[in-house]
Amino acid sequence: MTRNTMIDGWYPVGLASQLDAHGRVTALMGEPIAVRRGEDGNAKVTGGNGRDLPACIRYGHVWSSLGDPQKPLFAIPEADQPGRRLVDVGVVRVRCSPLRAVENFLDIAHFPFVHTDILGAEPHTEVQNYKVEIREDEDEVWATQVKFYQPQAAKSAEGGITTEYMYRVPAPTCSVLYKTCPPRPAEWDVITLFVQPLAEDLCDVWPWMALFDDETPMADLIHFQQTIFVQDRSILENQIPTLLPLDPGMEIPTRADLTSVAYRRWLKRHGYTYGAQLVAQ
Amino acid sequence: MPAQSPAGPVALWRTRSGRAAAFADRCPHRGMRLSHGFVRGETLACIYHGWSYAKAGNCQRIPAHPALTPPDTIRVATQHVEDGGGIIWISVGEPAAGPPRFEGLAPLRSMVVEAGIVALEAAAGTTAAGDLLDYTYDDRTVWLLLAPDGQARTLMHVLVDDDSNPDERIAASRAAEALRRAAEDIARAGIAR
Amino acid sequence: MKLYDYVLSPSCYKVRLMAALIGVTLDIRPVDFHPGREHRGPELMALNPAGSIPILEDGDLVLTESSAMLVYLAAKTAPQWLGNDTVGRAARVQQWLSFSHRLTASLGAARLHEMLLRPGNIADLREQGIAALRELEAGLVEQHIRGQRFLASDRPTIADIACFPYVALAPDGGVSLDPSPAIRLWSRAVRSLEGFIEMPGIHRLHELTPAPVLEVGEA
Repeated sequence: MTRNTMIDGWYPVGLASQLDAHGRVTALMGEPIAVRRGEDGNAKVTGGNGRDLPACIRYGHVWSSLGDPQKPLFAIPEADQPGRRLVDVGVVRVRCSPLRAVENFLDIAHFPFVHTDILGAEPHTEVQNYKVEIREDEDEVWATQVKFYQPQAAKSAEGGITTEYMYRVPAPTCSVLYKTCPPRPAEWDVITLFVQPLAEDLCDVWPWMALFDDETPMADLIHFQQTIFVQDRSILENQIPTLLPLDPGMEIPTRADLTSVAYRRWLKRHGYTYGAQLVAQ
Repeated sequence: MPAQSPAGPVALWRTRSGRAAAFADRCPHRGMRLSHGFVRGETLACIYHGWSYAKAGNCQRIPAHPALTPPDTIRVATQHVEDGGGIIWISVGEPAAGPPRFEGLAPLRSMVVEAGIVALEAAAGTTAAGDLLDYTYDDRTVWLLLAPDGQARTLMHVLVDDDSNPDERIAASRAAEALRRAAEDIARAGIAR
Repeated sequence: MKLYDYVLSPSCYKVRLMAALIGVTLDIRPVDFHPGREHRGPELMALNPAGSIPILEDGDLVLTESSAMLVYLAAKTAPQWLGNDTVGRAARVQQWLSFSHRLTASLGAARLHEMLLRPGNIADLREQGIAALRELEAGLVEQHIRGQRFLASDRPTIADIACFPYVALAPDGGVSLDPSPAIRLWSRAVRSLEGFIEMPGIHRLHELTPAPVLEVGEA
């Protein structure tokens, strides 16, 4: 068996706002872990055999790793801009591959059918050409100039608009979405999907947002994003096979799926295969 | 609707014009179960991205690319379907003959039993002839068309005399429930032993 | 009328769905149930010491049980939804309203466990949920034999709205509806009702909208 190269990555393991001395027991890639606030006030994460694991607090969440992270957690500079509201959306468990959860987040063609009348609506189903690249310097997957007609793009949006998106995959189970910000056209709203891999076929998903929106009540913002994600959940739990196929042949991508194609290629190149299957069967 | 076949899970559906069809229950695009999909006209569309397929299995439309005519290579595996006497039959491969007919019987309901056919036979006190088991209660008989789903589960289609009145049909439905309870008790006891 | 609401709560959805079907507009007050546990905060505990949502407020009246809310909405605006035109039918409606609490305690708890990590013995909850689904399936088969498409009548009543959400969301808790053809038909009948609204986890019936007409150049 080859070494799991995802072992050295950072993964979300809890909400920073809910960190207490009592803590919570959860899991990371099959290993039970405990997450609590230490006496010094920092997050303390222990692995199955009682060893201390790396821990940090960033973007509303506690992050940890089973291995030895070679890099600090990826940066989201926009999230530190003053004036943004930071929204802890909370955890949703899904019986699916953590990689399938990220791939679905990168997909826009499903909006009219799964997020009907919110993120998409027939007959506006066409996916225009957009740009996809693997940025070698940052070692990240990026999709830019993604445009889609949306009936209600955000809680702060009134009526339909053509929304512009940029997607970024800075880590195998994390994605950052930059999206047209209705109240501030010069800025981007930041919506993230942080996925905690519990097992190859089970994950806890922690959506998080950093928005320019001073109007909408916090509970509304949370409900909006939970609505979107839970609409996806019944899709994610019914894809066959459960693991994400990285070899071509098992599924049929089109031009609209170029982000997914790049994501799969990038995963395969790095050996990020926890939650993936390599040989078409 | 989802169904089971010896060749794996199938999505069973009926076109707008009333013809039954059976597909392998997996969209070739992203692997979503097609039994979650929706029927429009003569096609079944996947709930995930709306790719739609005609009865013969060929992809007709990809909504993300409305101007594109999908290549003929994009297709789902289909199975042969016969719709007769209120029962839908699937055959894996070309059938040599048509499905059996049950003269004088009418289908009432389908149930899943968490027990094998042996336990159902023990509960009914009779032996299945072909796939058909008869079960007599209160001097009335109900017929059970059985399809095994693995060793420990059986799909049971309940048939009654086609001249049964509503009260008799309700009684037959309740008798089938009682038979299922008895068969599952037997199966559980067998596992416990 | 003000509804303290959580968008992922099937019990809150019962009230939203009922209101939508009979054309009543609710003043929705979103509650941060998860992750914020606002329903256990001082403001809402003062309104409902049980610490549950939904809560429906109409003037002096405060209701904290979803079945009572369905009765109230129907009695006030659309009494035909009460299904009380015969004694037998009225009793049947009450039977299913009470039964719906078993769905909440079994399928609902299984869903909270599987989706939002709430405690519970998942095997027991699923077993109880399957038992309840079998009861509902049998009831619907018998209604079908009587020529009636809904739980208490040939037209929908509050009994259907009380039972529909937790049943339709059973797969969220890992309980399949595949073995329940009568439930699937009934679910389609409910989702086909004029004015029906969905909630996350219950998809719209796209077959009810015609295939879009394609026009070249339209996006």
